[in-house]
Amino acid sequence: MHIPDGFLDPAICVLMYAVSICFLAWAWIGAKKTLSRLFVPLVAVSSALVFAGQMLNFPIIHGTSGHLIGGTFLAVLLGPHAAIISMSIVLLIQAVFFADGGISAFGANVFNMAVIGGLSFYIVKLFSGAYPLSRKRFFVGVFIASWLSTVLGALACGLQIGFSQVFAQAGGVAVTVPAMLFWHLIIGIGEATITTSLTAQFIRVKPSMLRGLTMLREVTP
Amino acid sequence: MKNVGKLLIIIIAGLAVLIPFASTYPDGLEKVAESLGVKESQPLWEGLMPDYTLHTVDNPYLTKLISGLTGIIIVFLTAYGIGAVISRRNTNS
Repeated sequence: MHIPDGFLDPAICVLMYAVSICFLAWAWIGAKKTLSRLFVPLVAVSSALVFAGQMLNFPIIHGTSGHLIGGTFLAVLLGPHAAIISMSIVLLIQAVFFADGGISAFGANVFNMAVIGGLSFYIVKLFSGAYPLSRKRFFVGVFIASWLSTVLGALACGLQIGFSQVFAQAGGVAVTVPAMLFWHLIIGIGEATITTSLTAQFIRVKPSMLRGLTMLREVTP
Repeated sequence: MKNVGKLLIIIIAGLAVLIPFASTYPDGLEKVAESLGVKESQPLWEGLMPDYTLHTVDNPYLTKLISGLTGIIIVFLTAYGIGAVISRRNTNS
């Protein structure tokens, strides 16, 4: 879902940069309050895991593939603030070193994957209910949140490209939004499956590592 | 920290094992662009390892593995550094 250079109008690039910078500031301030030094190694290693995961495309149908985004995974592991920062670092390094996602579209890519992914924390929270957490409800929440974050990211991406000149002749948003949603309804199932199994593994090995899970138990803004 | 080292090794080993199975089909967005006849233009910035390949390594497996490994290390160190800056005043919990 990484938007390359040349797909978006300059105005949309600027708008998405502005929106994403606001969310990054919110995430930075929030992480400053909540991120413990003890969790820094976990932030680093989970970012590395998401980077590696994004390299591994899985085939879906009709010669199309998808890959893990990992926003919900990071959100459950690190909480929403650190998740947004972590995913933005991954996206920045992909753009700078690997030409995966354009520099001009970086703001849009941060919004579609890092911001929506990080905020999917609140969907998990909604489903999990109050403490004590029910395991079943938590995992249902993780599954739905990760699926939904992929679909909503695709919707945002469909709108951004659809309102840009390059896609205008092809039919604009009336074509790009349904097309993006169609593929990502399916890709989202892969996202949800991988996220739920990864989260289950982490909980099995070391539940105390899940900062996000702890935050779910606390009253968080 | 011991756990983190272990996890990094698992991630790298996982990548090494799974690269040959990764799909090379276009992803959702690429497919949409393709089907609408929109071509990807030259990027503003090429990057050092465009599309996870190194100019100097021809073998498709090795070129992806080496660039992936490099990326994992850069992401790890950057996230570590930024995390340390953010949390430098937080000591407990």
